[in-house]
Amino acid sequence: MMLLMLQSVVSLILITLGAVCSIKDSRISLAVSILALVIALPVAAATQLFMYVLLVVAIGILTIFSMSVKENQMSGVDYSLVALIALITIYIAYTNDVAFILAAFVIASVPTYALVFAGDRPMVDVALKYIVFMVLATVLFIIGTLMLTFSSKAGDPTLYTLGFVMLILGLGMEVGCAPMHEWVPDVFSAADPLPLSVIASITKIVPFVAAYKIILLTELPQLSNLTIFVAFIAVISMFTGNIGALTAKETGRILAYSTVANMGYVIATLSIVTSKNYLYLAFAGALLQLIVNAFGKASFFASIKTNGNSRPLMYLLALSFIGLPPLMGFWSKFFILTSLVGAGLVWLAFLLIVNSAISIPYYLRIARNLAGDTVPGKVTAIALVASAAMLITLIPPNWFVSVAKMIIGGV
Amino acid sequence: MNWEIVLLFVAPVICSLPIAFFWVKEPGSERARKLPILSVFGLFISFLIAIHILLTYPNGTYTIPWLPDYNLNFVFIFDYLSKYMGALTAFIAFMIGLYGLEYMKHDYRLGWYWFFFNMFTASMLLVVYSDNLLMLLIGWEGLGLASWGLIGHWFRDDDEIAYVGIVGRKVGPLKMYWPPSYGGWRAISTIRVGDMPMFFAVAAIYALTGNLNISQIHWGALFSKIGAVGTLFLMICFLMGPFTKSAQLPFSEWLMTAMTGPTTVSALLHSATMVAAGTYLFIRISWYIHPWALHSVPGVEMLYYFVLLLGLISALYGASVAIGCLERKVLLAASTMSSLGLMFGCAAASYWFGKLALIVAFWYLLTHAFAKATLFLVAGHLIHATHDRFCCGDLNLAKKMKTAFVATIIATIALGGLPPLTAYWVKAGMDGIMHHLVEMVGSLPLDLLILTSLLYSAFLAKFLSLNFWKGDKYHLHLHGEKLMPFAYACVVSMVFLLLYRIVTGTDPLVERHLLEFGLEKGSLIVGLGVTATYLFALVVPRIKALSPIGTFLGDRMYLPALNDFIVPSIGWAISKLIEYTHRAIDWFCHFGLPEFMLSVSKRIRSIQVGYLRVYMKIALAFVMAVIVVSMLGWL
Repeated sequence: MMLLMLQSVVSLILITLGAVCSIKDSRISLAVSILALVIALPVAAATQLFMYVLLVVAIGILTIFSMSVKENQMSGVDYSLVALIALITIYIAYTNDVAFILAAFVIASVPTYALVFAGDRPMVDVALKYIVFMVLATVLFIIGTLMLTFSSKAGDPTLYTLGFVMLILGLGMEVGCAPMHEWVPDVFSAADPLPLSVIASITKIVPFVAAYKIILLTELPQLSNLTIFVAFIAVISMFTGNIGALTAKETGRILAYSTVANMGYVIATLSIVTSKNYLYLAFAGALLQLIVNAFGKASFFASIKTNGNSRPLMYLLALSFIGLPPLMGFWSKFFILTSLVGAGLVWLAFLLIVNSAISIPYYLRIARNLAGDTVPGKVTAIALVASAAMLITLIPPNWFVSVAKMIIGGV
Repeated sequence: MNWEIVLLFVAPVICSLPIAFFWVKEPGSERARKLPILSVFGLFISFLIAIHILLTYPNGTYTIPWLPDYNLNFVFIFDYLSKYMGALTAFIAFMIGLYGLEYMKHDYRLGWYWFFFNMFTASMLLVVYSDNLLMLLIGWEGLGLASWGLIGHWFRDDDEIAYVGIVGRKVGPLKMYWPPSYGGWRAISTIRVGDMPMFFAVAAIYALTGNLNISQIHWGALFSKIGAVGTLFLMICFLMGPFTKSAQLPFSEWLMTAMTGPTTVSALLHSATMVAAGTYLFIRISWYIHPWALHSVPGVEMLYYFVLLLGLISALYGASVAIGCLERKVLLAASTMSSLGLMFGCAAASYWFGKLALIVAFWYLLTHAFAKATLFLVAGHLIHATHDRFCCGDLNLAKKMKTAFVATIIATIALGGLPPLTAYWVKAGMDGIMHHLVEMVGSLPLDLLILTSLLYSAFLAKFLSLNFWKGDKYHLHLHGEKLMPFAYACVVSMVFLLLYRIVTGTDPLVERHLLEFGLEKGSLIVGLGVTATYLFALVVPRIKALSPIGTFLGDRMYLPALNDFIVPSIGWAISKLIEYTHRAIDWFCHFGLPEFMLSVSKRIRSIQVGYLRVYMKIALAFVMAVIVVSMLGWL
């Protein structure tokens, strides 16, 4: 634990220094931010969380590289901000303290307020939409958390219900679940693709882990009556995202609706949070889906910036999103479906499969839109690393369930 | 014993392979045309073995293990029925094989013909000697396949002589003529209708008893177990196989158009194989069911009453049709159907009369086989000699084809039931049995039997008269055939062997029973009536005034409508339904679903107006609504 604290302090100092030095040269910040992430690896090496840390570090470095594809008005600082998000994504796995979890939630969210402005020219109206929604979401999430914490100690069922509903609404708004997804298509199609490769990918992980931890920490018996609400949100989100994406033409807009759908799949797992037998499998599925989403979206948005990318890599990532075995996207959906069926929500599993089928045409359209020649470069490297990550599940990732168990098991 | 049994089934098939393959390589060559002798040699081997079995084998079963864990083995049975039937089949097949050497000499597809002919024989022998129902089904299917191959042998449909019916004639929507290719299709398709329920029945019997050996299954216990409805359902499913194979109503049409095959095929098909397989199987299972001992089991009586009536009504139908027929082979085909009906009816009477009814039915099968084979072989010879498939000929022809003439006289008298030849005694047995049934089930069976008998002798006499005495003009083309007359002379002489066995009472099971039946007053009266109709029909083979009725009967009472119109109409209706379903699916996939998705998708995207205040309204409205709902306690 001491080592972890030491590492976190060193990392934070490093990224701060990097941000400061970026006034002189943004490349220093790039190197230092990556170093700050890399030193998290040896610390986690001995623990069972290593694979999670490794994947998050990989996503973090990927998104930092993605930001560095083109200079923007805050080059240098943006690397530090992304590194900060990645670090907090790692640290939230270690904690079960509600205050720390809330802090992590805020830290993972606030840097994006600044990042959304990054780009060739600042898009104030788009950034405003994003920020207003994020602030509202954060407020709902925090108030919900406080109500849950209080009512679980006081045993007040009414307040508990209100707290749970607000938490889920906040979570949904933060990640972009329908019907609170209005900001997603606008922001994803109008803002600069490079900050979006951060906003659409790595920032989605922390809110879900936080929600899982808080719900499990504050659980009251009536929780099992409330989970149907989550399933409701999940179904709306899946259908809105997938059907909405079918007629979208711009790649950014398709990716926006794809995000709405993916958040639907992930939030669906929260509806079986009371099933002790399938909880870990469900969380493993959710986390894996978030990682697939993070790798894929980061590569896709970076590719939009360069108007295309290597054809086979684009198709491979699209097929992973569709859920073709043995790619990682298959295993995440497989875990989710297995846990839903095991916990008795067969209808939800069925709808999820229907939605996977609906999603096929537009993922192929994304791949077709972005497919181009293979040119050596940063963006190709990003897609290559993401594709390699999709292929690590050639060996069935049973180990991931124990990783998931480690993250929320202590709660 | 082992190799002998295997050789019995395998020899005909192996010996037909050389011609089958060589004909593909050198169709029509001189060398290829010599190979059929080898095929007939294969039939000869089977014949010798069958005779050996008849004379020396002890009664009982012989097992060659196959899947002993599942109680599924090759079980051969040697008892009264199979020994006689096997010898009969092998003998007739061998004789027809000899006849075929000459008859099919100039054919264009000898490889096909001999392979299927020998396979036909081997399959029938397998059916005859099988005790195991699964093994029996292998032979049963072989019969179906071979009959398709042989009936449609002249698949080119290019020779009018192979057709059935007057080419070009139509009645309403029905074409009243059938080419060989259609004949073959009608045979296999009708038989499948019966075989499918039969397969399921065999499977059900295995599931219920764990045994498929006819002689070992406890039929009484099985019937008691499944109750009256179960028994009726199971056995009628099972008997659908025999009913279709033996062309009982309403499955008789295929038998009539089976005449499109070569005459040798008709002869074999109608005497000892295929159609006889159905009746033989019914006699065989009744032999071991012991229906006369199952009067306390519900359902069995109704089953046998059903078969009794079905058989006798089919018999009357067949005889009526034969009366109206003018085609040589179709007339004989209708008469076969009639005889098969009599066999079914008589065998079904065993429920009330006991085992003797089965023996009488079986003896009728034997008599019919020899006589009918003779008549077909004669008909084939006549068709060759006159190049006409319709009845024609006069005394001049009779003089030139003496053997055929004499064989026809003997066969018609022996089969028609004129005293004192063979069928008289067998039919006397039937008369006695049906007379006995009057007390139990009423006089209907007896009436049907007597009516059928009278008609039967009448059309046999008509056949004789129209072909050798009072028939139409003809052109004679004799080619000095030797083997053909020899073959049918041999076959027809066998009816005297049967007569000898009956009259002397030397058969171990028939004893003197048939003799006693034949000497009863009632039988004698029927015999005299039959003789009278025979003589009348001989002198007056055609009555002009009754020709409309004759046409109606000759058109088989328009039963072809069932095969050629009603069933195809149902088929077309189903295919239409499928077509519309396909169109609906196509519409749904190509238009309905995409349009629906498109409109929903556009509606979802119509929210994106670009104004933050609209978005906030929607999001906050949802948040407030959910909070209110949750506070009302709905969550």
